[in-house]
Amino acid sequence: MTAFIARRLLLAIPTLLGVTILTFILIHIAPGGPAAALGGEKATAAQTAALTHQLGLDKPWPEQYVLWLNALLHGDLGFSYLKQQPVTTLIAQRLPQTMLLMGFALIVSIAIAVPLGVYQAYRRNSAFDRSASVALFVAWSMPTFWFGTLLIAVFAVTLRWLPVGGLQSIDTTAFDWPSRIAHLVLPAATLAIVSMAGWSRYIRGSMVDQLREDYTRTAIAKGLPTRAVLFRHTLRNGLIPFITVLGGTLPVFFGGAVITEQIFAYPGMGQLFWQSAINRDYATLLGMTVISAVLVVLGNLLADVLYGVVDPRVRYD
Amino acid sequence: MCCTAWSIRAFAMIDAAVALPIDEEAQPPRRRRAQLSAIAAVSLFWVLAAVLACWIVPAALHLNPYAVDVAHAYAAPQARHPLGTDGLGRDELTRLLAGGRITLSVGAIAALVAMLIGTVYGAISGYYGGSIDTLLMRVVDVFLSIPTLFLLLFLASMFHGNVLTLMIVIGVTSWLGPARLVRGEVLTLKERLYVEAARSVGAGDRRIIFRHVVPNAAGTIITASTFMIATAMLSETALSYLGIGIRAPMPSWGNMLSSAQSDIFAGAWWLILPPGLVLLATTCAFNFLGDWLREVGERSVAGS
Repeated sequence: MTAFIARRLLLAIPTLLGVTILTFILIHIAPGGPAAALGGEKATAAQTAALTHQLGLDKPWPEQYVLWLNALLHGDLGFSYLKQQPVTTLIAQRLPQTMLLMGFALIVSIAIAVPLGVYQAYRRNSAFDRSASVALFVAWSMPTFWFGTLLIAVFAVTLRWLPVGGLQSIDTTAFDWPSRIAHLVLPAATLAIVSMAGWSRYIRGSMVDQLREDYTRTAIAKGLPTRAVLFRHTLRNGLIPFITVLGGTLPVFFGGAVITEQIFAYPGMGQLFWQSAINRDYATLLGMTVISAVLVVLGNLLADVLYGVVDPRVRYD
Repeated sequence: MCCTAWSIRAFAMIDAAVALPIDEEAQPPRRRRAQLSAIAAVSLFWVLAAVLACWIVPAALHLNPYAVDVAHAYAAPQARHPLGTDGLGRDELTRLLAGGRITLSVGAIAALVAMLIGTVYGAISGYYGGSIDTLLMRVVDVFLSIPTLFLLLFLASMFHGNVLTLMIVIGVTSWLGPARLVRGEVLTLKERLYVEAARSVGAGDRRIIFRHVVPNAAGTIITASTFMIATAMLSETALSYLGIGIRAPMPSWGNMLSSAQSDIFAGAWWLILPPGLVLLATTCAFNFLGDWLREVGERSVAGS
């Protein structure tokens, strides 16, 4: 196991180096730099040049790359020109909001997807299963920003049950749990519609396979109630492939949801990336991309390791 | 194999990391099969109707999506304006048709770009194998480690400009799934006898790859392209929604939905529902068609 993890981590090093080089090149071939964006439209050519020099952007890019990589290895992600703060500080401010939103969305998705997938598999090819499959396919094709707009129109503007957007009510600056949760409902529902559709299909497929296994037949034959067969026996095995899906959500917990955060003006990591992209905030863009890439690699590795933990038949060699 | 077709859609997914598997049922009962092809028929009809309407109707009736009529802003649906007007008094139905032309073309061309790059890349990687394959697939891994939406947002905000740049930006961020898919297919196809036969009569690698191997992967490629069009349309509309895709005044379903968000407070439901519904119907139609093509493909493999 240890050897397996070590080998996978070693293999990840060239991939991650590739990510840093690729992102660095992309950012530096892009027209218009942060100096131009920072100086605004009124800046003269001389002012822009001075700013470029001050930011160290007039050095050849291989030199900039080495300086940046060296700082990165020392845990320094650089300084955001846009926000005038260290990138690590920016991330530390916003990461909790994004993790809260993503955690909420994840719980909602799983709470719907698992029972639905199990029931569809149990009643497979019934009228319910077939109509649910079509409905889920439609949900899966949903443009999220439109769904979010609809939710706002219905629940926030017409019915006035929930807030339109933001982090929490502006009436108080103190941390306000009820208000926080009220502000999470619509964005989490928007995020959950697509993932719920995909995941329940995943669980249905996996459960259909498990229901054909001998152990399921044995459990039914010895007279166990259906509920016990489905949830105690079959679901336990049926959820194993789902580990891969959960591993894939690891980077999302960091990166947030650019579009959903934009719809609901939610100050999370997605919004930070979006602001950095349109303002050419190099340090923040690079830092967020590299951390996301690390989490993609770790998420895949975590999924593979968890397979071995929950399924003793899996061997690493 | 079949799962790879789904992962294309999954990794390009906007705002959600979702992987859809295929339930491995041996053969669906006949009733279900008939029903699925009914959905496929409706989907095909919808796509054809949308294409015809968007390209022919505005030209035939000389409709102008840019004609402003401020006196009749936010007019509810009526005989003169079947879908009402927007905040500048422009006819919503006309803009919907003109926007559809943009969104459908961006979806189709971006999918074409992605499939072209993916097919050539994947075919070369799978056919030559060995260290070339390892190297090319490591490059794919590098790209896949960067969240697709990050790359898409970044490129679209850097190279914003016209419709053509947008098509290329979406295309070059979507080829990884097709590349993996085609590589997998080519790995098995290159062992076939007809490849050996072609080689024995002196055909070169390029001829074997593009005249013999790739045409035999056509089924997989066409299925993936169909899903890809839906994904590319969602990418276009998402970028336009964020304001870095198709820019006003040129209409697209994405930027129409973007401005619709501020029209909620004007109570203009006719600006929110129609563009969203046609977009959802069209992405659904392409996904249903793709799903149906995939099923047909698997059945023909199982039957052969």
